[in-house]
Amino acid sequence: MNTNNNVYTVIYTTIVVVLVAAILAFVSQKLGPMQAANQKAETISQILTAAQFEDFGSTNAEKIDFYKKNISEVVLVNADGQKVGELDCKDAKIYSVAELKAQNYNVKDEAKSGDLKIPMYRFSNGITVVPIYGAGLWGPIWGYIAVESDLTTVAGAYFDHESETPGLGGKIKDDPSFRAQFAGKKIDFSDDAPLSIIKGGVPAGKKNAVDAITGATMTSKGLSAAIVAWMNAFKPAFSAAAPSCACNCCNGECGQHEAEENNESNETEE
Amino acid sequence: MGKMKETFLNPLMKGNPITVLILGICSSLAVTVELKGAFVMALSVTMVTGLSSLVCSLIRNTIPNRVRIIIQLVVVSMMVILVDQLLKSFEATYPIDKALSVYIGLIITNCIVMGRIEAYALGNKPIPSLVDGLASGLGYGAILIIVAFVRELLGSGTIFGLRVIPEAFYNAGYVNNGLVILPPFALILLGCIIWVHRSIDKDLQEK
Repeated sequence: MNTNNNVYTVIYTTIVVVLVAAILAFVSQKLGPMQAANQKAETISQILTAAQFEDFGSTNAEKIDFYKKNISEVVLVNADGQKVGELDCKDAKIYSVAELKAQNYNVKDEAKSGDLKIPMYRFSNGITVVPIYGAGLWGPIWGYIAVESDLTTVAGAYFDHESETPGLGGKIKDDPSFRAQFAGKKIDFSDDAPLSIIKGGVPAGKKNAVDAITGATMTSKGLSAAIVAWMNAFKPAFSAAAPSCACNCCNGECGQHEAEENNESNETEE
Repeated sequence: MGKMKETFLNPLMKGNPITVLILGICSSLAVTVELKGAFVMALSVTMVTGLSSLVCSLIRNTIPNRVRIIIQLVVVSMMVILVDQLLKSFEATYPIDKALSVYIGLIITNCIVMGRIEAYALGNKPIPSLVDGLASGLGYGAILIIVAFVRELLGSGTIFGLRVIPEAFYNAGYVNNGLVILPPFALILLGCIIWVHRSIDKDLQEK
């Protein structure tokens, strides 16, 4: 047989490619559920890491058990900060990366903000974890930001990525010292960028920014944009849930307001 | 049978992909910081080289010559994706797959795989091709594990993640060597291994 014939070549390559595609599709379908279970356990361990938990075990079952023990509620909020749903804690239901991706369209596009439904993970230690999602240099990046019960002080953060360059952009995940910078920062909603990443050093006294990664300008920018966009999406929810003083008193009436409230509560007790 | 034995032993010693053919250097620098990663990488490459050589040898008489590299690439990438998917599916290997990140996918571009298909599988029967492919992967893996053993021992003081250098040493002032963790040390170590290999095997010395 003449294998150098044009028609033969075209038919041969077509058959090979279709066959390979079919095999890969079949395998991916068969292994999909197992991979999803591993991914879910990994996401849970990332949320737990962000929420400052340690020693949550190494196997999937241990991680999920630990999560179930320590989560108090998962609230889904809309663009007005109202609660529009809940995820089942007993079942350890979480938003997968794919679901974050879907919500990212609603976060970025104001026209779609009506469909916004993003999760806030509340843990029994008082920490609330919120997800972020955005674009890095080569692919999607996402992560979790944990805030203390005052909903202003950042307790910690964890980031992950699909295909950033190892050693450069990959440091958002692999370099603990980058993540550690977030602890103790204050989210400031009066700023257009409530929490951001700044290249060339954070000015002294600026409490709501961290240093970018050297050699990873695009990844740092992408991560910063993702944090800003998602934090702004959470702004109404944070303001609604924050202790009354933190948000709606800016002109020095704060202490007074609080004192009055205390008086009132005392009176009712009497 | 003697011929088969030679087919198997040649890629391990005289035709070792790393120390003699100097192929696959990139990944041998990147994944040898820890033994666990090196071990999984060695296993993955062995599977890919073995199976792709087998498949390419099976279809060697039907491949149109003008598109043979493309067909080989399709077969190799299918094997790599299969290995990657399998690693992602098991709880034990999932974190390792994550840690090896792009390097599993980059087995596709590992010269050893294409090199063995072009040089051996396209001209030989399936079974010897499978043996040659497996042995090439093992020859690559053996060097990987030697390098990773030294790097993990001196760089982190552990073997397969278990601490082997006693705490007393650290208290007495011993410190892990930071240079060993960095890729340049892997290159230095590879150079030493090639040196030793050549001084033992006289056939490899240039006149």
